[in-house]
Amino acid sequence: MDSDKSYMKQDCPEKNECLKMLQAILDGEATPEQRTEFLEHHLEECLPCYKNYHLEVAIRQLLKAKCCQEAPQDLIESIKSKCTEKLSR
Amino acid sequence: MEEQELPKQQYTDAERQHIFNDEFMPHINAMYNFAYRLTLDADDAKDLLQDTYLKAYRFIDSFQQGTNAKAWLFRILKNSFINDYRKKSKEPSKVDYQEVESYYNSEEVDRQITPDLRVEALKDMIGDEISNALNALDVDFRTVIILCDLEGFKYEEMAKILDIPIGTVRSRLHRARNLLKEKLSEYAKEMGYKTV
Repeated sequence: MDSDKSYMKQDCPEKNECLKMLQAILDGEATPEQRTEFLEHHLEECLPCYKNYHLEVAIRQLLKAKCCQEAPQDLIESIKSKCTEKLSR
Repeated sequence: MEEQELPKQQYTDAERQHIFNDEFMPHINAMYNFAYRLTLDADDAKDLLQDTYLKAYRFIDSFQQGTNAKAWLFRILKNSFINDYRKKSKEPSKVDYQEVESYYNSEEVDRQITPDLRVEALKDMIGDEISNALNALDVDFRTVIILCDLEGFKYEEMAKILDIPIGTVRSRLHRARNLLKEKLSEYAKEMGYKTV
């Protein structure tokens, strides 16, 4: 996979700053200008940041897929009835 | 309780019913997950969730319709957790965070925090690896990851839920993600993925 990316920069002097920026982008906290600059320019030419980007995305996907537990149905019912009881008092 | 400081509404019973059923109940799965990830215990999570919803009901007049019900509920849950489940370990974090933050502004960081982890290794983590890695984090780090990556709260909402400045949200999140990646690289290594 890396072979066809040999034209890219193999090292990034701003790696940590870039990581912060790409997290801000993925969190929806970056400006449109920052997004464009980073995603369309920097990522195209910088291999470490390109990899970091895909890693961040993959971690988020994995978190969402594996770390969301649903409430037990009996608990939901019990909370509902306890509170509705008070509501209709 | 701080929620009481807000301007109070005078809802009718029908309005209360509506708020409770249509604005509070839809978040119950997300709230349960938050309670479970904070307490790491199914029974405590049940109690915490129930306490939170009873409180939400009791303070329903402090909730303003049209504002973010999910953030309001999460804040109550977080405060209940701190007050009722975390009493013994009082504020262990203040000093730590200053250290963490100044560490993060230092130059060493660039060299040190680059856990070698590959997407291919993540794809093989089909079991509880990520969940265990998340649960292994200190509760304050775990919390910001849950709020941001699982629940999609904005930094500003997180700052309100956690009662911390937005800059702290940002740095804590960055630190939390690096710690999570370190954990995941350990798993990757155990799974046979070579690190440089």
